[in-house]
Amino acid sequence: MSAEIKRPANGNAECVLHIDHLTMRFGGVVAVDDLTMDINRGEIVALIGPNGAGKTTAFNAVTGVYTPTSGWVSLNGQDITGKRPDEITKLGIARTFQNIRLFSSMTVFDNVLTARHLRRTSNFLTATFRLNLAEEKKMRQETEQLLREVGLFELRNEKATSLPYGKQRLLEIARALSTQPKLLLLDEPAAGMNPQETEELGEFIKQIKEKFDLTVFLIEHHMNLVMGISDRIYVIDFGKQIAMGTPAEVQENPAVIAAYLGVDEDEAAEAPADARPEARDGNEEVSPE
Amino acid sequence: MNNQLTKKKIDSATILSAVIVVCLYVAVFIAEQLIAPTSMLFTVLKKGATYALVAVSMNLCNGFTGIFSLGQAGFMLLGAYTYGILTLPVAERVNVYQYYGGGLVQFTLPWFVAMLLGGLVAALFAFLIGLPVLRLKSDYLAIATLGFAEIIRAIFQWDKLGPITNGSNMLRLFPNFNDFNIRGADGQVTVYLSTLVPLLIAGACIGIIVMLINSTFGRALKAIRDDEIAAEAMGIRLASHKRLAFCISSFFAGIGGAMLAMYQSTVQAKGFTTAMTYEILLIVVIGGIGSVTGSCISSFLFVAASEWWLRFLDQKQMIGGFEVPLLRNGFRLVVFSIIIMIVVLFFRQGIMGTRELPDLFRGRRKAKGGAKS
Repeated sequence: MSAEIKRPANGNAECVLHIDHLTMRFGGVVAVDDLTMDINRGEIVALIGPNGAGKTTAFNAVTGVYTPTSGWVSLNGQDITGKRPDEITKLGIARTFQNIRLFSSMTVFDNVLTARHLRRTSNFLTATFRLNLAEEKKMRQETEQLLREVGLFELRNEKATSLPYGKQRLLEIARALSTQPKLLLLDEPAAGMNPQETEELGEFIKQIKEKFDLTVFLIEHHMNLVMGISDRIYVIDFGKQIAMGTPAEVQENPAVIAAYLGVDEDEAAEAPADARPEARDGNEEVSPE
Repeated sequence: MNNQLTKKKIDSATILSAVIVVCLYVAVFIAEQLIAPTSMLFTVLKKGATYALVAVSMNLCNGFTGIFSLGQAGFMLLGAYTYGILTLPVAERVNVYQYYGGGLVQFTLPWFVAMLLGGLVAALFAFLIGLPVLRLKSDYLAIATLGFAEIIRAIFQWDKLGPITNGSNMLRLFPNFNDFNIRGADGQVTVYLSTLVPLLIAGACIGIIVMLINSTFGRALKAIRDDEIAAEAMGIRLASHKRLAFCISSFFAGIGGAMLAMYQSTVQAKGFTTAMTYEILLIVVIGGIGSVTGSCISSFLFVAASEWWLRFLDQKQMIGGFEVPLLRNGFRLVVFSIIIMIVVLFFRQGIMGTRELPDLFRGRRKAKGGAKS
């Protein structure tokens, strides 16, 4: 498609994020290959796939870290392809990172407060000379309230990096929420968590989705979490979409089982026993596609 | 409980710090009236105030935003020249610009206007060179800004610009710190202010920088320093915030340059060498990268050590008829280098780490959290 024509989403008013034939190429490597996705308002959609399938690359292309080689992305019907990450965040997409990226020198409170900066109306002069006191106060109040809602208020004066791992993940989500997003992108939020923490995280994601009227798009390897909370799941392998559907549909999809078999223990355990040999046979059909 | 967070708290530690600063100012004022104005103490305080301002401005860039800029001497030069050119009394211009027929500029501005313009000129140049240079990262940015400072220094000595800059000749006879003294009708000084006023100027500028650092923009700058990718993902526009920090840093370096011109009573481009930038960088490192208080303390210590306390090393010293070996002109610098090496090797956090003055009174738990390698 030509670069000039920017169509609004897919005509579906409920569609928050639309990814259209997105391709991301690095030299000879095609990390994301012709990916098309729709995420509707209020959904929790998961993007799964084996390691190196291109999930994070897709995230980075959506959030503006990379400019897509071809294809386009729209948010609420507005084309956001090629915009800077900060512009995209301002338009309502917030994200967390696979390897935690907190502001390490700051406290928990300041981490979340800093994410409010993008909603400021003050400029550097009014801020320096304290002519924005009302706004600053509002920012602090909202931050305080947000911290209470996610249960980090007691830890507000701790240094962000001194928190236990699970809390740091939580803080990343809180910081993302602080930008007042419509769409929340979570890049492996449960990485490094134990089963109990993972379960709590699932509940937490559902909670904040309701409370903040969010749409959630997540990458995750913990299949229990993905199957438990997702409305729909996209599966990609080698940058290509190999399946899409409800958790139940995806679990029975032979292409998915083939892609995962022997790679992920969780998935292998969940796949029906009789599906396994079938999947091995199917392997050759799927890969060259 | 609720108010504690929503209202920026002014705790006892902050008040205590403010009281200490005010006391220091009062002490300087009293000392100035009592001690002979030629005392080394005042030289150190004047130069220290100048360096403190420039060091804090450099810290804003290097310590708080993570932009490793080494253009400080260039921006100081711009500030110093702007100040010198614009405040030179018209009557004196014929003498100063003797090779250029009195020069092009034939008016004089009040000192504070010229000083402010010095800052603005530096900020303007920062904006312009920031357009290409701020795209670079770490070492490359340092090299580019260093190059800028060298180019500026060369341009200001260019003969063709002589009618404005006086070429490679020095500018002099403009108002300096001694003109802040209040004189009676007979020309005798009644109230000495030549040290207090520079300290007040530097203090006010540093105060503004601290207010910026503590504002929402300061938090954004620290976020960029901590993690650019995360900061950008949180909606902080990197280019504009880096440019802001760079321009403001240069603005105050320009003001610092004007103060240096006042301190020296002369301006000559060849004085604004890379070595000057390194001196400032050293002050920032010794004080603690990311600590305004540290930069202030270490600039006074640095100036005192290099101008005053270690001077004796440059002269022959006799102890009971025995001539101490090695002491000769230049030995001071050797000792100074050794001290710096010791500091850098064993006190990498600098004097203050990332702590500020009020943190010192806030108990150990918080202070410990402030330190970061």
